[in-house]
Amino acid sequence: MTALASIRGLTVGYRRDGNEVAALKDVRLDVEAGERLAIIGESGSGKSTLALAIAGLLPASAKITGRIDWTMPKSQTSRSFAPPSVLPDISPTRGEIGGFAAGSAPATLAAGESGHDSTISPQVGEMSGRTEGGAVERQLRHLRGGVPLLGRDIGFVFQDPSSSLDPVMPVGKQIAEVARAHLGLSWPQAFNKARILLERVRLPDPGLALRAFPHQLSGGQKQRVAIAAAIAAGPKLLIADEATSALDTIVQAEIVTLIRQLVAEDGMTLLFISHDIALAAELADRIAVFRHGSLVELGPTAQIVGAPAHPYTRALLDAHIGLDAEPLLTRSGLRA
Amino acid sequence: MSALHRFLRTPEADAGALLLAALFAMALSAPLLFPGDPQAIAGPALLPPFQDWSLPLGTDRLGRDVLAELFHGARTSLAVGLAAAAAALAIGAVIGTLAGFAGGFIDEVLMRITDAFQTVPAFLLALAFVSVVGPSLGVVVAAIALGTWTGPARVARAEVLSIRERDYVASARAVGMHPLEIAFREVLPNALPPVLALSSVIVAAAILTEAALSFLGLGDPNRVTWGGMIAEGRAVLRTAPFLSIVPGIALVLTVLGVYLTGEGIVETTAVRRGLS
Amino acid sequence: MSLLAVSNLTKRYRRGGKAVAAADDVSFHIDPGETLALAGPSGSGKSTIARLVLRLIEPDAGRIAFEGEDFMALGGAALRARRARLQMVFQDPLAAFNPRATVARVLDDPLRIHRIASRSERPRQIAALLERVGLTADLAPRAIHEISGGQRQRVAIARAIATKPSLIVLDEAVSALDVSVRGQILDLLLDLQRQERIAYLFISHDLGIVRAIAHRVILLDAGRIAEAGDARAVIDAPRSVIGKALVAAAPRLDRSRS
Repeated sequence: MTALASIRGLTVGYRRDGNEVAALKDVRLDVEAGERLAIIGESGSGKSTLALAIAGLLPASAKITGRIDWTMPKSQTSRSFAPPSVLPDISPTRGEIGGFAAGSAPATLAAGESGHDSTISPQVGEMSGRTEGGAVERQLRHLRGGVPLLGRDIGFVFQDPSSSLDPVMPVGKQIAEVARAHLGLSWPQAFNKARILLERVRLPDPGLALRAFPHQLSGGQKQRVAIAAAIAAGPKLLIADEATSALDTIVQAEIVTLIRQLVAEDGMTLLFISHDIALAAELADRIAVFRHGSLVELGPTAQIVGAPAHPYTRALLDAHIGLDAEPLLTRSGLRA
Repeated sequence: MSALHRFLRTPEADAGALLLAALFAMALSAPLLFPGDPQAIAGPALLPPFQDWSLPLGTDRLGRDVLAELFHGARTSLAVGLAAAAAALAIGAVIGTLAGFAGGFIDEVLMRITDAFQTVPAFLLALAFVSVVGPSLGVVVAAIALGTWTGPARVARAEVLSIRERDYVASARAVGMHPLEIAFREVLPNALPPVLALSSVIVAAAILTEAALSFLGLGDPNRVTWGGMIAEGRAVLRTAPFLSIVPGIALVLTVLGVYLTGEGIVETTAVRRGLS
Repeated sequence: MSLLAVSNLTKRYRRGGKAVAAADDVSFHIDPGETLALAGPSGSGKSTIARLVLRLIEPDAGRIAFEGEDFMALGGAALRARRARLQMVFQDPLAAFNPRATVARVLDDPLRIHRIASRSERPRQIAALLERVGLTADLAPRAIHEISGGQRQRVAIARAIATKPSLIVLDEAVSALDVSVRGQILDLLLDLQRQERIAYLFISHDLGIVRAIAHRVILLDAGRIAEAGDARAVIDAPRSVIGKALVAAAPRLDRSRS
């Protein structure tokens, strides 16, 4: 297996009320190409920070050290496009990584890689000074063709579709915009693509849904639209950050099924961020358990669930209350 | 970093705070620097500025010290501006909160009253009120508040409408809290920030309205006011323009100072919200 | 006699010109010291029913009898006084408290409003309440937004039990909590139920938790009761369409594999 993204020594800190809070501590993790990797953790575990770091969405105020090396097959198009409105623009952080790649050495080829794959590998193992990254970032805008670009190479699905979709733009246009920006399609072509995408995410009556506004759709339908927008440009990596947490159990199961299917059909790599270890176990090939910003355990799903090595993983598994759990009532002796 | 520190980092706030500080210094030092009656005759009539250093800004038609009048006028402007704005904000916040929280009939009645006040131009309202009741400082404050409380009331109501649907209001009801206590203890304090953001505009408008009333001779006759000074100088505008220009500049700088300070505060709080 | 008896409760909302029933002819009862769960997908009306029972919203039709008294007939001061016996814990403990509040103020409210303790006695009572829910008294002066999510939900429970209620409505009260905290809060709730004989109306979309802590369950679908009965019996072998769908959708953790 090849690592799509290889994360080394990634440490992220936020400043809060004058104190520095470490959100991620020295994380080492390989995201293998084509796998479904679940990132599991409770609040404060750093799981969302990791997702944002990989997508290059960390706020400029975050203090970042470490590196993320990408091995990404070249996209068919290398033009630089306007960022789509449904997805936030790439942040200076991401730019910085590419900036070093461009500034230090031409992209190196990893051993065993075929020539058409370009490895973007920062030679300098740090990304300091990104706060004054204005110049570096501007310089980078020409280089976007070789760096994993959010929207084109990485699709991101957020927890709350009502805040990630533009409330005053028809959903079809929001999807078409991504396709247009990253695939260089004309508007009619892009709308056609949006229609096909809405069919793929199983929205009833895609023709009608194309012209619907987000508020006219249910929570589950909105999340389907957000997924359609995320995969519109055919990304290699799909990141779902608590994408089903705001939905009820039935809709959640449907969305998980949809994600599994889309990932298999398009050969995408999936990064599934969740607090629910049972849900993650149903979807993922591998599970990475995070706690207080550190990776505590990583392994194949069956091993994590069946034979957890770390006591915290075991505690998470024990805390799960499934349909076969022993009722707490009998334990507390209230039931006569 | 403290809020004050952030506040002082914005250039608008610096300029505004400087102007306001100067104004407050003038108002506070007036009785010390110019202890006597500022309306007493201090020298020859119509002395131009920078001639006699005991009367640096010269004298008016009756030989009164312009600088002393300017300092004492700052007291009136500031007192009326702040008092009228405080009254308008308090009335507006209470009425807006009651209307938004009670809803239904009470809301309807209070908002139609608000409409009625809003359709009459604030200045005409103040003018009519002062002409009927008679000019005194308290009446001028009331007259200005009467025309300006509607803005805060609308903002407060809009904010309350969204806050009353929050869980903590439901929680207060569930615990058995009296509706008035919910309105004024749970809802109102959380509805205040956008209402207070209006305060700089209202203070500035109140200072201008006070000046305009005084200019028309409807200010408190026992007090020196900048508006009154401008009106006084109008008669000799050609021969002694400084009599109108000096208080005019003071008025402009004061209003500018209030606006810039308000702007700085808004910017500071916006930054704070953006960070949290 | 049952503690709470709800009959033919109906509430309709207008949504896009159409009337949507959030509660459609719903009847149920809760016995003292019992946990009744309301479960269903989002939009099934479970939260609306919780708020109707508390009279935070008024029903279009139906009757509510609480502790043998017509709860719908109460108004004003009588209703506010009666609320002491019927409390609520919300899903998001941060949203359920005034953003300016401190822990002490949140717990002071019920004690003051229902005249449970005099001003001088209240700090001691607040400390006792905090200890009752597994917190320490030194938390009292802290602001609500400074404490952790689990601590907040314990404070919410302390506020609910301050007036010694016979029924607490738990609206998704453990759904927003981390799993490790969730277990502790469930244990606390069960402990309180055992000691004080408090009944719970437990609103949840999570059938695993419902099955673990409820005596009986009502499955709701579009404002109607789809299925009701013993919690374990219903969830182990659902007969209604929605019951089958909910059970099928629940994530399963098969720990035997590997």
